[in-house]
Amino acid sequence: MSTSSPEPLEWLLRPPSGENGFDRKALAALLLDIARNVRPELAGTPDAAPATDIRLEQLRTLLMGHEIELLARLSNILDDPEQLAAAVGRILPTAFAQATGDARLGQVLAPSLEKATQTSIRNDPHTLVNILYPLIVPAIRKSIGETIDRTFQSLNETLKHSLTLRGLAWRWEAWRTGLSFAEVVLKHTLVYQVEHVFLIHRHTGLLICHAAAENAASQDPQLVSSMLTAIQDFVRDSFSGAENQGIDTMRLGELTVWSEPGPIATLVAVIRGKPPEELHDSLNAALSRIHQERHQALQDFDGDGTSLADVEAELTECVALRQARPQKTRFGFPWLALPIAVAVLLFVSARVTRSWQEDRRWDHYLAQLRALPGIVVTETGRRDGKFTLTGLRDPLAADPQQALGAMEIDPANVIARWAPYQALDPQIVLKRLAATLDPPPDVRLSIDGDRIMAEGAAPAAWLERARAIARTLPAGAPILDLASIRNLDAQADRRWDDYVARLRAQPGIVVTETGQRFGKFMIAGLRDPLALDPEVALTEAGIDPAHVIARWAPYQALDPQIVLRRLQATLTPPPTVRFVVEGDRIVAQGSAPSLWLERAHMAARILPSGAPVFDLDAVKTVSDGAIGKLRDDIQARTIRFDNNEPLPASGQDALLDQLADDLKALETLAPSLHVVARVMLTGHSDALGKGTFNLSLSLARAEAVRALLRKRGVDPDLLQVRGAGDLEPILAQPTEAARSANRRVSFTVELEEQL
Amino acid sequence: MTATLQKKICMLGAFSVGKTSLVRRYVSSVFSDAYLTTVGVKIDKKAVDLDGRTVNLILWDLAGEDDVNALRLSYLRGAAGYVLVADGTRPATLDVALSLRGRVENDYGPLPFVLLLNKNDLPDQWTITEGDMIGLRNAGWWVRSSSARTGEGVEDAFIDLASRTLR
Repeated sequence: MSTSSPEPLEWLLRPPSGENGFDRKALAALLLDIARNVRPELAGTPDAAPATDIRLEQLRTLLMGHEIELLARLSNILDDPEQLAAAVGRILPTAFAQATGDARLGQVLAPSLEKATQTSIRNDPHTLVNILYPLIVPAIRKSIGETIDRTFQSLNETLKHSLTLRGLAWRWEAWRTGLSFAEVVLKHTLVYQVEHVFLIHRHTGLLICHAAAENAASQDPQLVSSMLTAIQDFVRDSFSGAENQGIDTMRLGELTVWSEPGPIATLVAVIRGKPPEELHDSLNAALSRIHQERHQALQDFDGDGTSLADVEAELTECVALRQARPQKTRFGFPWLALPIAVAVLLFVSARVTRSWQEDRRWDHYLAQLRALPGIVVTETGRRDGKFTLTGLRDPLAADPQQALGAMEIDPANVIARWAPYQALDPQIVLKRLAATLDPPPDVRLSIDGDRIMAEGAAPAAWLERARAIARTLPAGAPILDLASIRNLDAQADRRWDDYVARLRAQPGIVVTETGQRFGKFMIAGLRDPLALDPEVALTEAGIDPAHVIARWAPYQALDPQIVLRRLQATLTPPPTVRFVVEGDRIVAQGSAPSLWLERAHMAARILPSGAPVFDLDAVKTVSDGAIGKLRDDIQARTIRFDNNEPLPASGQDALLDQLADDLKALETLAPSLHVVARVMLTGHSDALGKGTFNLSLSLARAEAVRALLRKRGVDPDLLQVRGAGDLEPILAQPTEAARSANRRVSFTVELEEQL
Repeated sequence: MTATLQKKICMLGAFSVGKTSLVRRYVSSVFSDAYLTTVGVKIDKKAVDLDGRTVNLILWDLAGEDDVNALRLSYLRGAAGYVLVADGTRPATLDVALSLRGRVENDYGPLPFVLLLNKNDLPDQWTITEGDMIGLRNAGWWVRSSSARTGEGVEDAFIDLASRTLR
């Protein structure tokens, strides 16, 4: 077919030259000419055949009947735009396919396509969006991803290097060169070298071309490229990636493998170090160039790399892409930097000097603080450009803040922490005493070695308080010496002291507390009610009781003196008895009636333990001695009676005489002994007979004996009688002998001290 | 160096027919056999001299398969030809080889290939008859019995396949 030529269409469109589109005249002439050529003898025949010859028409139909029909159909198609469009539409795809190699097709179609696209977008933008979406989105995504990668990389590097010394140098460089800091950082940090570049045929995985850096080691590049392709296929198959997607980055330690896919070939770069994202651009540019320049050769590639050998130059250029570690370059003398360096130097030295001076002042200040009494510096240092200070400070010590101002140190630069404590330095103790004692104007306090001397004169009350405070000073503190203070109240004090001393010496008084309070003397203690009355002693001492507060609790004293007093008060001893204290004993002397003696013995027994012993051994009773013997003799006698007889039985005159003598002796002896003697004569009867009779009989017998004794010169006032009847028998047996013994008069002698 | 002629050739066959050991002695290889079990393919290279020109056959040794479906046929993309390997002592492996050929033809059209019936050093276990071989040859197949131990048939197969890929 010769569809590539426009000829046939032009011929068809040419307007017919004759009627019916048919030039019969020409045809007749042509036929005649042919006949003449075939048969030269016909040369003489007339030139033209009649145009109306029917045979010509028949001939034409015969020769060209089919064509005429065809032409008629074609002209029909051409005349009818719809049919023409359908016909052209049928061949258009083939036509475009054939014309692909012709550059003009693109040029011719471009304007129409542009216009069509514009119209389409104007009409409904969604259509084109829908068409482009699957293409654009991955592209955008990839682009964004790479941009973010790049940003992160630059951010990381920036952060990493912004605060180091090197970072400062780079900032300087950025400022000098006008580049952004991130760019400078990248320039210095992204040390990399492209070691290998493979150009791999995508379809077969065969190696098209390979270039390597001089020092780069690797395996057979043909095997490597196939294996890379296999791995790409493997990943794509395993994770069902799209046709155009695959691994674009692999990392192995220091090595990074970047795969840049092109339409026909893939460029794989093996990079040592940290490649900047911009390297993608360089590699892509190289790949695009290769595709553009060697498009046909790439497409025709079937394993024979000969025709693509020149691509190696392009790859070698890629291998040359590297960023070496920056070498130390020698610059000329940096004159520009000189003034800056000088300025920096001056600034730094000024700072150093200032800092040094500050330090000196600080040290000086610390030394001063350490010398201050009541201040203990425990820790010093520097933090965040400020001085720090920790220590103990007595609230009465000097204010460290004030000293700070004096040293020209800015208080804002100092962080001080003071814990309060009580210092024992004499100076501080002196201050504290001055504050608490509030000494009267006449008193001066001063430091003398490790003691604090008080001098002058003060009232006793102040002195007393000062003494109390001096006693409560903590151990290790200086001693407060009050000896040099003259007591303004000395006389009264002395009197009081004497009074107290007297009381202390008194038996039955125990002084438990003395002192002065609120300007008054104070005394407290125990006092036996029998002891000296302190009030009286007070008056005796000439002390105004109004100036004294006394508190006495009563108690029972065991002093011999007091016990003696107590015994005297309770026993009321007869005048014949004396009490004497002998050591811790109380001895009673003299004589006393036995009844009193009995009471005294009782009292001695119930004395509390610890009390002095009450010795009564030296007291004699009245009935002792001669009078006692007389009494016993008299009482040992009885006068016997016969039955029913009121008069004594015969034969008893001698007995009565003797009895009368004894009674008369008693009568004379008793007054000399300050004793009143009384003799009771008791008459008794036996149990025979009536009671009343016996009673009166017994009384009569006693009367009879008294009368007999009177007769013999005995004072009747001495004698008293009574009748006991049969109620006090000597023997109770109902025998005559017992009865006889019971018929009697008995004698009882009572001796009583004469008061 | 890179300007030489290369062809991608795939090695196919059932599991343990001796594909890998068949080529091991005759190829230059840098990758370990572990690739076979991990990636499913291992690349070797066999240089063949044809009329004074060196043809580098890039051999994609595909992991042998028990289950026919396990083969990654995508690895055959762009192959210039392939080597089918079966075990002459196990007829089933020949069936696998035939089935593989069918699937390759299905996906990639007719490609030059050779069939190696391996382990012919075990004649007492050999089960493929001469008749079978002739039958296959008559169908237009290039068939050889081979031995990884003796190397018989291997070199021939590669030379033949290489020359056919160049036609």
